[in-house]
Amino acid sequence: MTSHEAPAQRGAKTGPLPFDTSVAHQARIYDYLLGGKDNYTADRAAAEELIEIWPEMIFTARANRAFLGRAVRYLAGEAGVRQFLDIGTGIPTAGNTHQVAQAIAPETRVVYVDYDPIVLAHARALLVSGQAGATDYIDADLREVGMILSQAAKLLDFTRPVAVTLLAILNAIPDSDGPYEIVARLMDSVPSGSYLAISHGGSDLLGRQALDGLTDVADRRIQQKVVYRTREQVARFFDGTDLVEPGLVRIEEWRPVPGAGEKGRSSGWCAVGRRR
Amino acid sequence: MNAAGPDGEAPVPGRGKPPVDAIVLRMLLGRQLRRLREAAGITPERAGDEIEGSRSKISRMETGKTAYKISDVADLLSLYGVTDKQRRAEVLAMARHSNAPDWWRKYSDILPGWFETYLGLESAACTIRSFEIQFVPALFQTEDYARAVTRLGHKAAPDGEIDERVALCLKRQALLSRPGPPVVWSVMDEGVLRRRVGGPAVMRAQLRHLIEAAAMPHVIFQVVPFGLGAHAGAAGSFTVLRFAERDLPDVVYIEQLTSAMYLEQRLDVEHYLEVINQLSGEALPPAATVRLMEQAARETL
Repeated sequence: MTSHEAPAQRGAKTGPLPFDTSVAHQARIYDYLLGGKDNYTADRAAAEELIEIWPEMIFTARANRAFLGRAVRYLAGEAGVRQFLDIGTGIPTAGNTHQVAQAIAPETRVVYVDYDPIVLAHARALLVSGQAGATDYIDADLREVGMILSQAAKLLDFTRPVAVTLLAILNAIPDSDGPYEIVARLMDSVPSGSYLAISHGGSDLLGRQALDGLTDVADRRIQQKVVYRTREQVARFFDGTDLVEPGLVRIEEWRPVPGAGEKGRSSGWCAVGRRR
Repeated sequence: MNAAGPDGEAPVPGRGKPPVDAIVLRMLLGRQLRRLREAAGITPERAGDEIEGSRSKISRMETGKTAYKISDVADLLSLYGVTDKQRRAEVLAMARHSNAPDWWRKYSDILPGWFETYLGLESAACTIRSFEIQFVPALFQTEDYARAVTRLGHKAAPDGEIDERVALCLKRQALLSRPGPPVVWSVMDEGVLRRRVGGPAVMRAQLRHLIEAAAMPHVIFQVVPFGLGAHAGAAGSFTVLRFAERDLPDVVYIEQLTSAMYLEQRLDVEHYLEVINQLSGEALPPAATVRLMEQAARETL
């Protein structure tokens, strides 16, 4: 199911979830790029086509996962945030948000949001069980901001700072679905001193030909729309925040750990901003 | 993958990786042999001739279902045109280490071959996901419960044999407390909690044991409640084993009365993965599952 077809049904369903594995899905393509095994033939075929057009895709996926670790470590450590709203969780792998954050501060509360049934299956079991701090999972589409906020309020205290993480998910929200309004609503609901972390495929980091090729694969093969944005367009998501050092940079350039990680050039932008 | 195998196998020298279980080595080696043979454009028949074996022997070797004779592997490498010394040494070291004895060998007299294979895979897996429609998963059975289940399957067996089978079941459970244990994620039909295997007292103790096990960080239980009606697991119980090695596919294991089926073809495995993902999505989450177990324990009078 594509989210924009029937967003109103999400979160209030009674019957079994649709498991359409015949069409590629972004979360499972990402899993494949990261070397996971929770992907299906259609996902692998789409991923291989993407890699063919843009070989840096694999590095970009890994760099994005590594950025999640560095950003959460910064937010839980230096920034001292104790509440996370992680939207676009993806299929759990090693070093999920709550594991990174709770290793620093065990009392950290993490609410995960995703809408892929396979993510749901894993998240309900793997992300919320047997952990020291509190974690919860919401089955919702990013477009359902009201529902996300009201459900997240069961675990998170919105009078205290919250780190909102939107990694490689705004790519799935075309301009017609109001991505800037969605982010603004989320950040309006959290107090000053909260944080916003975003990573986003950069149209200006891809050649024209690659951009057309990737968009074409997505249109033909992937359940979600895939939208790439320029550095300026990504920067607009951070209106009302002050970017922490080093500002808006390529994913692998954000506070890299010296000597760690593989070398490469990603095709994504990222930043962390502090709400004024 | 655990840092040391359950048998404490020696590390594979010169490979710089943690030691892996013998069966995983056999499977990895088998895949390499198949790739090398295919790359050399050699048929299984021709390869079989080379080592004075049959096509099916090559097939068993390439699926990791047999122990390797080092000289056979060396002959095949030559036939496949692998002359690089380092490369040959690596493959041959793998073959040697894949022949390490398995811990369950002493139970061989009561174990059919297909079940020995399962034990090998189970102790090598990094994730064990199962759907259970009848019985509590063997890794979580109490001794009394295991005895009752074993009696059902082996009515005519002498007490000594029943004891041995129960002992094997309990021995398998050691993998839950080893360093670097696998994630064990079991989805059970509510019937598993309600069926009074061994009588109410045995079942109550079993349910309490499950509730305790649920607190282990690498153990996840989910129950599909009766209220959910028909569900995707209508086909019956099965287990999906996943290995840490990227090269190894997931293996689906389906036990039947006198044999077992292993599926590792991508399309088959994907089908079962879909079913178990769907079941996990529909089943009660872990916390609610424990509450239902507590309720079942109270109601088992």
